[in-house]
Amino acid sequence: MSTIWLQPKTLPEALAMLAADPALTPFAGGTDLYPAQAARFAWGEALPEAILDLGALPEFWGIAADATQWRIGAGATWAQLRDAALPAEFDVLRAASCQVGGAQIQNRGTIGGNLCNASPAADGVPPLLALDAAVELASLRGTRTLPLGKFLLGNRQTERAPDELLTAVLVPHRAGDLRSGFEKLGARHYLVISIVMVAAMVRMEAGRIAEAAIAVGACSAVAQRLPALEAALRGSRPGEVAVTPGQLDHLAPIDDARATGAYRREAALVLVRRLLARLALPEALVA
Amino acid sequence: MSMSVTLTVNRVPHTVQLDDPRVTLLDLLRERLDLTGTKKGCDRGQCGACTILLDGRRVNSCLALAISHDGAEIQTIEGLAEGGALHPVQAAFIAHDAFQCGFCTPGQIMSAIGLIDEGQAGEDPERVREGMSGNLCRCGAYRGITEAVIEATRSMAEDAQEKAA
Ligand SMILES: Cc1cc2nc3c(=O)[nH]c(=O)nc-3n(C[C@H](O)[C@H](O)[C@H](O)COP(=O)(O)OP(=O)(O)OC[C@H]3O[C@@H](n4cnc5c(N)ncnc54)[C@H](O)[C@@H]3O)c2cc1C
Ligand code: FES
Ligand code: FES
Repeated sequence: MSTIWLQPKTLPEALAMLAADPALTPFAGGTDLYPAQAARFAWGEALPEAILDLGALPEFWGIAADATQWRIGAGATWAQLRDAALPAEFDVLRAASCQVGGAQIQNRGTIGGNLCNASPAADGVPPLLALDAAVELASLRGTRTLPLGKFLLGNRQTERAPDELLTAVLVPHRAGDLRSGFEKLGARHYLVISIVMVAAMVRMEAGRIAEAAIAVGACSAVAQRLPALEAALRGSRPGEVAVTPGQLDHLAPIDDARATGAYRREAALVLVRRLLARLALPEALVA
Repeated sequence: MSMSVTLTVNRVPHTVQLDDPRVTLLDLLRERLDLTGTKKGCDRGQCGACTILLDGRRVNSCLALAISHDGAEIQTIEGLAEGGALHPVQAAFIAHDAFQCGFCTPGQIMSAIGLIDEGQAGEDPERVREGMSGNLCRCGAYRGITEAVIEATRSMAEDAQEKAA
């Protein structure tokens, strides 16, 4: 069988191709797809037969703000997110972007690919959960918007129908004294898959935490927010409320080659405490 | 499915017929254009030995499909030296013994050129190490690599100043 490679020049063209053949594999940066395929190929399995190359879609790349929200094109690369002039609540996503792979991966890997690949260790997920992000999915049938937490169903499982493309990530505007940050634990400093990562965004008001959003990744099939801790922090002064293991009870970290579940649980607690302490510092305002 | 792709590699245009769309830029450079300076270490994005500049940005050529980049400008290690004069990054790698076996070196040098051009790391060793983290060196020549990148950053900035003056 001969292979198929299609490179649509517009989104409607891409959606028509996908509707005609939902078996087409969308290809953005290829940094998840290609290594996985190459590994399978090395074991004697065939590479995918039909590729839908998203690289020439003009609608895919931009980062822009309208009256209500930020719209990050699904094809925005980590390098774009790292270098874009975005407000303080995005520090969390900027910090994550700097820590995805090395610079070569950051130049090619996209946020849309990271979300659609739906790895439990995807570094883009906790920051976007903390920012209450939604994803936009388009098909010939129409466009729908889903909160990120509803889009991600499990390890490598999403709500995306075979004829849909993820077109954008939507983040609501926020105002006030916002601080956000990211902590990633890996087996070495750089170029490493996360053992645990924590993302947090807090809004301060008159020295108190008016709002807190905290998400932990790689400790469950899909990264999770910490609602009990967020509720406890609301209205408190920084450092006043202790972070307790009970607030992380709903996480379900597994044992794997990178760490044991018990280690992950302990590390998550430490990282949450460390990140909140860092965001409480006055310097966090200028960082 | 037969198709062709035109790429400008080290300022020379090449048109290559592909019989399969899944050929990577790395395989095209090595197997079709006989430019074997770009190395294949892992073929899955993890080692950086295959780093090239694609439209001026450093990427892993093992992860890019050649067919996707019709019309692109590519720079590889073979295109750096001009008329026998080494590129400043090549010269700095030699001056600082920034290698042992040399297998990772073409990728390290292309990555360093990308890093210096991005202009974010400057002469801060920690930022240089972070910026070069996509390139592994199994001989562990990291110390020399970091020194070489810093020296090249400095010498290239001085050259640019002299030219401007
Ligand atoms: C060496 C190395 C280091 C890495 N380090 C990290 C890391 O530190 N943290 C991390 O989170 N990830 C890491 N990754 C994984 C990967 O780089 C990221 O997940 C990246 O963001 C994937 O984006 P992509 O555009 O390359 O996706 P692709 O490989 O192009 O696609 C990934 C999946 O999403 C689908 N897809 C892509 N775009 C769309 C779309 N718009 N609509 C529908 N489906 C789509 C594809 O069909 C495929 O199934 C690393 C990978 C490598 C090779
Ligand atoms: S060969 Fe491309 S990164 Fe290793
Ligand atoms: S010099 Fe041998 S791998 Fe770097």
